[in-house]
Amino acid sequence: MKTLPPTLRPQRRYIAFEVISENSVSREGLLREIFPAASSLLGDLVSSQCEIRLLDFNYPFGILRCLRGSEELTRAVLSIITSIDGNQAFIHVLGVSGTIRAATEKYIEKREAYEVHSHI
Amino acid sequence: MPHKYYDLCVHAYPDGEHNCSQMLAMSQHLGYSGICISNHSDSESCEEVLSSNVQLEMCSGIEVRVSKPSKLHGLVGKYRTKKDVIIVHGGTESINRAAVENPSVDILNHPFTSKDSGINHVLAKAAAENNVALAFNVDILIKLKGGKRVYALSNFRRNLQLARKYDVPMLLTSNAASLYDLRAPRDLIALAGLFGMTIEEGNLALSDIPAAIISRNRRLANSVRDGVRVIEREGDM
Repeated sequence: MKTLPPTLRPQRRYIAFEVISENSVSREGLLREIFPAASSLLGDLVSSQCEIRLLDFNYPFGILRCLRGSEELTRAVLSIITSIDGNQAFIHVLGVSGTIRAATEKYIEKREAYEVHSHI
Repeated sequence: MPHKYYDLCVHAYPDGEHNCSQMLAMSQHLGYSGICISNHSDSESCEEVLSSNVQLEMCSGIEVRVSKPSKLHGLVGKYRTKKDVIIVHGGTESINRAAVENPSVDILNHPFTSKDSGINHVLAKAAAENNVALAFNVDILIKLKGGKRVYALSNFRRNLQLARKYDVPMLLTSNAASLYDLRAPRDLIALAGLFGMTIEEGNLALSDIPAAIISRNRRLANSVRDGVRVIEREGDM
């Protein structure tokens, strides 16, 4: 199929986040939490306007895609998650960018993972 | 200038699951400038020396929980000189009313009653006059599911409308009882956006308003009596 001209392409935002949990969690486990959270909080209608996709996840950091204008709703969806893979966990949004590269460079590359154990 | 964020309602061991220094370390990681450990008045208070690697302002607070409004004023008077922040755990119409009519109270938390949002135009006006902040404990949006969350959201929306109309100071709190209940300031603001709070209002509710409550009470702690306070002692000159 021919690619859309730039003006017709959807505007997207990329959300860099970190998962804070006692144990490592899997990509599948995270997906099993995000989409039910979106459908219970926002419902089918608004979920379709957000177009949340999990692009990359390498515990503890990940990148999520959503449509421009729905960043706040997506943040709210991420913050109602309380457990992943049966572990107590929550998602800390690090920042929002217009490109994957900017999101990775600005928010993920220089960060060190937060070790829950080192503080317990 | 970036905002300095404060969470004024955090519970630590024995009220919560984790101890003070764990809660402080996580809050610092999430970007807070200060938190207030406010355990309930009917459980033991936490007295713990801070670990040295945390550069975070910690204030002492208390969440007064009473079964009858007649007991409230005595307890508030007892803690006023000892604590930086006094929160009242509301929940019935009479306790909410007693809380907003007492100028010594800083914050009314959990105002929802079993029937409604717990705040009406009379209480909102009294809260604004006595400078009692209305807390939006957004943690219930995380904990509740389905119909109860719908109910909570519409109650929050109603309280927000009243607070805007009567200029009641608004506050966002995580009311965290464990590490995993804490949320970053920006995420709490996004949750508050669900019931219509704007980002600017959310920023004020997490930065300027809590900072004002803390500084007001620290200044009161220095006062000799109403209207008189010590600015400088002779020895300092």
